[in-house]
Amino acid sequence: MHGLKRGFASIGAATVVAASLIGSGAAMAQSPAADDIVVGVSWNNFNEPRWAAFDEPAIKDALEAAGAQYISTDAASSAEQQLADVENLISQGADALIILAQDGTAIQPAVQSAVDAGIPVVAYDRLIRNDGTLYLSFDNKGVGRIMAETIFPLVPKGNYAIIKGNQADANADFLRAGMEEVIGAAVAAGDIVIPEGCETYTDNWDPANAQTNMENCLVAAGNDIQAVLAENDGMAGGVIAALAGQGLAIPVSGQDGDPGALNRVALGTQTVSVWKDSSQLGKAAGEAAVALAMGTALADLPGTAPFVDGDLTLTSMILTPTPVTQENLQVVVDGGVLTQEALCQGVTAGSVTACP
Amino acid sequence: MADVSGAGPSVAPPAPTPASRSVSSTIRSAEVDTRLLGMVTALIVIWVIFGIGTDGKFLQPQNLWNLSVQTASVAVMATGMVLIIVSRNIDLSVGSMLGVVGMFIALLQQEWIPKAWGFGYDVWWIWIVAVIGGLVLGGLIGLLQGSLVAYVGIPSFVVTLGGLLVWRAVTFMLAQGRTISPLDPTFLLLGGGSRGAVGEMVSWAIGIAVSVAILYALISNRRKRLKFGFPLRPRWAEAVIGIVGVGVVMGAVWVANSYAWPKGLATRYAQEQGITEPPGGLIIPTGIANPVLIALAVAAIMTVLATRRRFGRYVFAIGGNPEAAVLSGINTRRVIMMTFVIMGVLAAVSAVISTARLQSATSGAGVGAELSVIAAAVIGGTSFSGGIGTIPGAVLGALIIQSLVTGMQLLKFDNPSQDVAVGVVLVLAVGLDQVLRKRAG
Repeated sequence: MHGLKRGFASIGAATVVAASLIGSGAAMAQSPAADDIVVGVSWNNFNEPRWAAFDEPAIKDALEAAGAQYISTDAASSAEQQLADVENLISQGADALIILAQDGTAIQPAVQSAVDAGIPVVAYDRLIRNDGTLYLSFDNKGVGRIMAETIFPLVPKGNYAIIKGNQADANADFLRAGMEEVIGAAVAAGDIVIPEGCETYTDNWDPANAQTNMENCLVAAGNDIQAVLAENDGMAGGVIAALAGQGLAIPVSGQDGDPGALNRVALGTQTVSVWKDSSQLGKAAGEAAVALAMGTALADLPGTAPFVDGDLTLTSMILTPTPVTQENLQVVVDGGVLTQEALCQGVTAGSVTACP
Repeated sequence: MADVSGAGPSVAPPAPTPASRSVSSTIRSAEVDTRLLGMVTALIVIWVIFGIGTDGKFLQPQNLWNLSVQTASVAVMATGMVLIIVSRNIDLSVGSMLGVVGMFIALLQQEWIPKAWGFGYDVWWIWIVAVIGGLVLGGLIGLLQGSLVAYVGIPSFVVTLGGLLVWRAVTFMLAQGRTISPLDPTFLLLGGGSRGAVGEMVSWAIGIAVSVAILYALISNRRKRLKFGFPLRPRWAEAVIGIVGVGVVMGAVWVANSYAWPKGLATRYAQEQGITEPPGGLIIPTGIANPVLIALAVAAIMTVLATRRRFGRYVFAIGGNPEAAVLSGINTRRVIMMTFVIMGVLAAVSAVISTARLQSATSGAGVGAELSVIAAAVIGGTSFSGGIGTIPGAVLGALIIQSLVTGMQLLKFDNPSQDVAVGVVLVLAVGLDQVLRKRAG
């Protein structure tokens, strides 16, 4: 199947190369005009529905608006395949690349050769450790901060449970660090207490494990918990099931804009789902790629800032995620995440504005 | 609860003379399964240690009740795994089967029936159809895998390793990255929660019924042995077994009943029913949780199937000596295939329990469950060399594993050390079993 796909891709490549040779051979030398630009996108795994549903259309729209052309490859979760894909995109004449890296390290050789050839690279959603790239992502530490910022005003004093993600996943600690920025002072002052056994990592971010962890936390704390910071929506579901088992209804955070979680927000059992609007990310990527291909320097792009990762400083464009609460639920319906019917299932009509 | 082996019903050795009576011969004359006794002792030791370590929190009714619910899903599948392993096969696909069936049940009740067939969401029978559909799907998957093992002759390790990958992938395709919720409120009762329990009176009634059944079984067993001239247990042994059995059953019911509804729920219930709450709050005993009841019923049925039905005898015969089983005219292929069908149905039962408990279906449900299930069966004394294993042992094995995990969490051990503990206990249990069996000759 892959062979077949690759076959078609190379026919496509040949056509594109031929077209660029006939049509605009000379344009390659200078900065091309917007309507000659070809932007190559390397997806790591297009089987994950998110990319096809939200990210790709947004990139395409942004490119279309600028008059640029879209070509793409799918590495089907293989780092080796993606290496070849990026090389193919370069030989197909891409003027800029957008790469969703399967493996930020394994992709380095191809990225370096693109950077050496003067082809700008946008590292899409995942960091590629190469200072010639533009790192474009949501503020992951910010997600944790936003969760805490939503919950903290509701429960400025009391016992908190913190249900973290997989221990081996750096994101779990980024999120926790973001929470600390908000609640750290209150914890130090003793206003917020995290009872023993109530701050746990969760194997594989598994909701069922999160439920068990929450049940054990409730046993350890004698049910005396006033708020829960759960690091994603799936785990928030498990946490809420555990709370419901004890008849507790307290503020709970989550992230992802998961349809089930958005329904819980409408029902009022979950307080917030921090939502990273993928179409916003796709739009930014498309626009940045076109601007870079037209010769704008990395640092001159509007909205960029230096991003330090260890000893490396990259140029980054970091977007702010949206906290979805009962007040602004309409944004997810407008954003096409789910239908109003699915959002409002089981919700008393009129209890939230998004469910009239 | 006698140890069942391929050699047929265990026959007690001749009663020892009083002079030579040692502890081991006393136990032997009482015909108590020593392995089961060892496991119960291990469980008690674990509980006491955690009880002390957590200042009694571990032994609180709330935690023991949670523990019973947390064990239910793995215990159900472990009973099926016993038959699979006893007949010298393995099923690595149970976690993935759980995932795909759970997703199927959730999609049936949340999307396909309400939307595709236009029935709408609030129809009372949808969840029942969904559950039946899930059980059928589990059985069909088992039938497919069992046929490939029994009739095509592909090793079960290979078939079910394939199943592990395929059914997980199908789960992902069905889920398309979503978590399916909300689910039907009645369906959720199957997963436990304070409202998903049978309440005080029914729990006592069940306890009394089971106690009566234990006593009846003891008496009728003794009568049969008298009739056929089999050796009898000493009277004191019968009495001890009866008292301990009834004590454990009624004790468990007492623990379940002493777990009162959490305050928040009780208050809400009082408001719904228009009851004014007494000063100390409304005390409503929770009773045995529905998933635990399901697991116990499954264990009882599977025990009867394994020890009192021809099918079970055949399974143990095949495991004890496959060639002899074929030569004695057993349709071994059919029997092997059926063990996989049963496994599939049980995985579906577990899918119902765990989906209802989580109140949503996730594409990751049951990842790694095959390892807990196999570990439970093996800690429970099921032997990979075939022919040996008991259903109650597997259930106890599941309870031991979950006790370790929950207890260590309460003691704030991190996840890797919990895995270390379970792994060490697994190897230790099997090693100890080997040593004891060798010594016994």
